[in-house]
Amino acid sequence: MRVIVANCSVDYAGRLSAHLPLAPRLIMVKADGCVAIHADGGAYKPLNWMNAPNRLVEGDGVWTVTNPNGEKITITLVEVLSDSSWVLGTDPGLQKDGVEAHLQELLAANCTHLAEGFRLVRREYPTDIGPVDLLCRDADGVTVAVEIKRRGEIDGVEQLTRYLDFLNRDPMLRPVRGMFVAQQIKPQARVLAADRGISWLEVDYDELRGLASNELRLF
Amino acid sequence: MKFRCERDVLVEALGAAGRAVANRGGALPVLSGVRAELEGDRLRLTGSDLELTIAVDITVAGSADGLAVLPSRVATDVVRSLDSGSVEVSVEGDEAHITSGRFQSAIRVLPADEFPRLAQPTDDAVTLAAADFAEALHQVVPAASADDARPILTGVLMAAEGHGLRLVATDSYRLAVRDLPGASILREGQSVLVPSRALRELERLLGGAAEVTLRLGEREATFEVGGVRLTTRLIEGEFPNYRGLIPVSHPNRLTVGREALAEAVRRVKLMAREPNTPVRLGMSSDGLELIAITQDVGQAHEQLDADYAGTELTVAFNPDYLLNGVEVTPGDEIVLDTVDAQKPAVIRANGGNEFLYLLMPVRVS
Repeated sequence: MRVIVANCSVDYAGRLSAHLPLAPRLIMVKADGCVAIHADGGAYKPLNWMNAPNRLVEGDGVWTVTNPNGEKITITLVEVLSDSSWVLGTDPGLQKDGVEAHLQELLAANCTHLAEGFRLVRREYPTDIGPVDLLCRDADGVTVAVEIKRRGEIDGVEQLTRYLDFLNRDPMLRPVRGMFVAQQIKPQARVLAADRGISWLEVDYDELRGLASNELRLF
Repeated sequence: MKFRCERDVLVEALGAAGRAVANRGGALPVLSGVRAELEGDRLRLTGSDLELTIAVDITVAGSADGLAVLPSRVATDVVRSLDSGSVEVSVEGDEAHITSGRFQSAIRVLPADEFPRLAQPTDDAVTLAAADFAEALHQVVPAASADDARPILTGVLMAAEGHGLRLVATDSYRLAVRDLPGASILREGQSVLVPSRALRELERLLGGAAEVTLRLGEREATFEVGGVRLTTRLIEGEFPNYRGLIPVSHPNRLTVGREALAEAVRRVKLMAREPNTPVRLGMSSDGLELIAITQDVGQAHEQLDADYAGTELTVAFNPDYLLNGVEVTPGDEIVLDTVDAQKPAVIRANGGNEFLYLLMPVRVS
């Protein structure tokens, strides 16, 4: 990531023509080649930008960025105030929702929320097709594979069915039954789960976190 | 198929049938259409998503009998866009032609043979006064849950009660019960669970009608209002035992003007800005005080004249649920019976026993 703060003017030619008059601005040249010109305001949208692939030519006080569509940004640098480069590496990505992972953590910490007498064998129990969220033993010692979702839909039941198929091949574990757990489970997913002998349970995230709701219910 | 009719009549019929049409057709694309069947001068338009079916009969000037499935959205939009006056619809091959004045359109129809065969209603019919039934639906249906995750609670229980009919709905935060004495449409002990969505549509159809005819099958209920027949699948399952939820006795009773309370709740709840922010009802011998406070926003108080018998008590309620209960309770005065700040309160008309609204308080510190 190259970060330049400079007094500059910018001209764009392409689908339309645009001109940014001379002013101090932030120019970002990202590792993938994207170029973005920002003012000191606004949360995210650059004043001007060009996505990769493009070609950046650094001339004497004038940079030109062109792309295969014939668009061209000309940046005229009058004074460079700062110019630094940083290696940021690969970004881990945006985690929009940590609820699912937190649900797994909370239920692993207290399996009796799932059913009386449940004991945790392991979180993220590995199988050949991926890890099962929780592997538990019920009060009778039967192995239970628990799949946890924020919203319980049919594909979650399918996923658990595949895990059960693999887990039941293990003579040390079988018979393994399934439990599908979510904050809310769609009616179709309940029917499919019941049809496959998989039990299901809706859990209250706030209650698990110890945040008692102030809304009282009739039942 | 070929017929001619008034644009306004056709728009209304297409709109009514179209309310049951599946949004995107789902697994059966033909369900995104309205089935039109012409016999002589009688045109029947039917929309269905398999859960809810609405069939509308209208009288037209028929020229050639026939059957077609018109794409609901397009056909309705086209007819609605026309000026009032005569509209001619004819179906030839896989196209429906809609003509009015100098306007012409050709719409590709959907395969009529794929439209599912719909259940015929049973012969046993009971007729009720539409106004009473509409009022009962208006009182009870809003208390049904909108959460599909608990399908039982999305229905309204219709049960035989004494020599009449009882309607019950609950979303687990409140419960509405309405008795319709004399409306004996069920055998003693019989009950059915009707989807609230169908009853909302029925309520819409009942406006201005004199009578509604009800037919109950094993899996469906059919309601007929004028030339409209609404059929809905019944919900299978056991409705919660609501009787045990209604407190037998209440030590505290507030009697207050219904409209005055409704107006006060509407004003005060403007300061309940956050979700789950309650309106508090402070009840004492001085009357009733309503309070809503939202931190960093503000607060509102209002004092109301009311008769109160019991110990001084403050109970908090979800303002929307409270307002709904007050609005649908009949009469000029209502009574609010309470036990304490965490037990269900009961709203009734003063002196009336046909409607009851049970409301769970909100816990406040």
